[in-house]
Amino acid sequence: MDDAVTECPSCHVAVASSEQFCEACGAELSPTVAVAEAVPSEASSQAIPAPQDLGVTAAICQTCGGEVISDGYCGTCGARAPTLRDHFTEQPAAWVAAVCDRGIRHPRNEDAVALAADDEPGSRAVIVVCDGVSSSIDSDVASLAAARAARDVLGSSRSQGMGTASSLVAAVIARLEAATDAASEAVLGVTHLAKVGAATGNPASCTFVAAVVERDLLVVGSVGDSRVYWLPDAGTAVALTVDDSFAQEQIASGVPRAEAETGPQSHAITRWLGVDTPNHSPTTATMTLAEPGWILVCSDGLWNYCSEAQDLATLVQKTSGGSPAAAEPLTLAGALVDWANAQGGQDNISVALARIQSLAPRSTREEA
Amino acid sequence: MADFTAEVYQNEFLPDGGTDVHAIVTVTCTGAGAAGQAGQGDAGEIVIVDTSGSMGEVNIRAAQQAAVAAIDQIIDGTWFAVIAGSHEARMAFPVGRGELIMVQMDNASRTAAKSAVSMFRADGGTAMGTWLTLAARVFSTVPSLAQKHAILLTDGENQHETPEKLTEAINGAKGRFQCDCRGVGSDWKVAEVRRIAQALMGTVDIIPSGAEMAETFETLMRQSMSRGVAAATLRVWAPQGAQVLFVRQVSPTVEDLTSRRQEVNALTGAFPTGSWGDESRDYHVAIRLAAKGIGQEQLAARVQLAVGDNVVAQGLVKAMWSSDDTLTTRINPEVAHYTGQTELADAIQEGLAAKAIGDDATATAKLGRAVQLAAETGNDEATAKLAKVVDIDDPNAGTVRLRRSVDKLDEMALDTASTKTTRVKK
Repeated sequence: MDDAVTECPSCHVAVASSEQFCEACGAELSPTVAVAEAVPSEASSQAIPAPQDLGVTAAICQTCGGEVISDGYCGTCGARAPTLRDHFTEQPAAWVAAVCDRGIRHPRNEDAVALAADDEPGSRAVIVVCDGVSSSIDSDVASLAAARAARDVLGSSRSQGMGTASSLVAAVIARLEAATDAASEAVLGVTHLAKVGAATGNPASCTFVAAVVERDLLVVGSVGDSRVYWLPDAGTAVALTVDDSFAQEQIASGVPRAEAETGPQSHAITRWLGVDTPNHSPTTATMTLAEPGWILVCSDGLWNYCSEAQDLATLVQKTSGGSPAAAEPLTLAGALVDWANAQGGQDNISVALARIQSLAPRSTREEA
Repeated sequence: MADFTAEVYQNEFLPDGGTDVHAIVTVTCTGAGAAGQAGQGDAGEIVIVDTSGSMGEVNIRAAQQAAVAAIDQIIDGTWFAVIAGSHEARMAFPVGRGELIMVQMDNASRTAAKSAVSMFRADGGTAMGTWLTLAARVFSTVPSLAQKHAILLTDGENQHETPEKLTEAINGAKGRFQCDCRGVGSDWKVAEVRRIAQALMGTVDIIPSGAEMAETFETLMRQSMSRGVAAATLRVWAPQGAQVLFVRQVSPTVEDLTSRRQEVNALTGAFPTGSWGDESRDYHVAIRLAAKGIGQEQLAARVQLAVGDNVVAQGLVKAMWSSDDTLTTRINPEVAHYTGQTELADAIQEGLAAKAIGDDATATAKLGRAVQLAAETGNDEATAKLAKVVDIDDPNAGTVRLRRSVDKLDEMALDTASTKTTRVKK
């Protein structure tokens, strides 16, 4: 394929015209040639419900045994038939999987997940979780559109920077920022469609968190209170994201976490994606993966019941029958969702996992 | 072919233990075409004119002009007739063939009808029940009619038959044709004529003086001719075990449809809505459900518009139980608006009824509440009409004084307009 050469508008280094980001400085480019490589998760995204197509999964009412009408409700008792939007899973590669579930106490599933991954374990993965704000209109549509838009941006870009560790980090952070922009655009698009939302002061909005694995590099970015944890099989578990929330502000001012996260305002977030957000620039963090473990990305539907990183590591230990290293990602994610539902299922629950087993260091030149 | 759409306005969130779901469903029709032109059957029109002695020379002449104005609006091919009403009903057109029939409109029948109308003389009393009974019989002589509509004009009280007789006649005519009713001057009784209009799915209004009669008739007939959908029903499905608290039309006027339910099946009722032109109508549906657990969702109602057996539009009314107060305490503006407008209509009618029997305390309270509701819901027309009957001290508090001298026409205009609603300001 003829890949013409052009120049980065930011740092003026020569770049291939198919690149979306500058290899040198990470600046976003406007590719003039389509990326030849397929989006890794294209096949899996076919199986996920489109926001507009909330497919009903049963023809017989689970409440009364009546017939489910084409509008998605029982013709006798009116119960809503479960849809794919209520509960769906994704597994783009054997080592990366997610479960997204309505929970028990919320009528709709306003959480969304979207994944992409290469087949080779530990090589390359993208995980996005968005949690729709329940007091806003059409947040279930907005969150799914946002998660997928961000996943598509992150999944289609493979810029590695100049090959040095720091330029790779810069490149991935630039990708994350572009992905957040795309997610934000998607949410605004939903609000634009549902003009009602804007008019009533409840425009669609959602949180955003993304984790990008590039071999032993993990970069995360978040807006709101959905989280990424690193849970090594041995050693100390850590939360990699810091919530944009009232609770977090209280924690920062000295209130103990347990107290702040159960207070009356604990679920109020201070930043989000949506027309009325103060700003949607993701707060990013980076770590080098140096040992086997799990990357856990989740919404507050899980962490409400288990907030401290070390407690989550213990939970994963227990849920996987004492051997987290041997657990299958989709099974483990499902088990964690079941556990949250068993605690009351007060909110929608998203659990996404990537298994880091044998380390596959990236081939980088030593920094000068 | 006409297109129908249905939009639902509601707060679907119910608190723990909540049972009652309210929704406003806006049904809009476009592309209705003209009456009798859809190939679904013919259209029929009857003009019923009061020719009692009280009409006098001036009003009879105005009524003749009004009938002519109406006849001019009737589309060629429409079946029609003219009835002259007094203490008995008489065929004014067509006549002379020994049986009750209608004729189709064309140049010749139009000319003949106008000439028949010019023979009206003011004579005799008033028995509106006989007019309705004759109209129903005349319509029944043309089996091809799918759309039957009449305009009824009166100037006085129904003195020459008992209220029971009138009721009997109304019941006999119900479902056989629609009837828009107009009263000229101030000697007729709004409640009496409203009873006819409501039963026959028509409107009621006042024509203050004979001079405005022709314009009113022209408008009414033009409107009727623009209703290309002969008949439609509103269908309301509610789940097993649920109770339909009420089904109300709330725009353009308030009409309680609840008692007009015809069973489609055990869970679905049909409510006749008459003929449709290019227009929107709003319906307020209230359903009582058995409470479900937090996080559960169910359908509270399917609200459909059906033309014949075909469902042409559907709106879904939902219920979701939530523990989130910010969701469950939200008040839907459309539901609130029309709840207020319905109460406004009741307050005006009850206030005027109390005033008529000299119960000034009740009249002051009810009309005060009406002033308050009209202000709250932005119904400026009602406020203007109320201001002619009461002196308004404070519209927000609803403090009013009954005016000592009130023009009877103003009072009647307030009464007839009481059921007219305004739409929600967006």
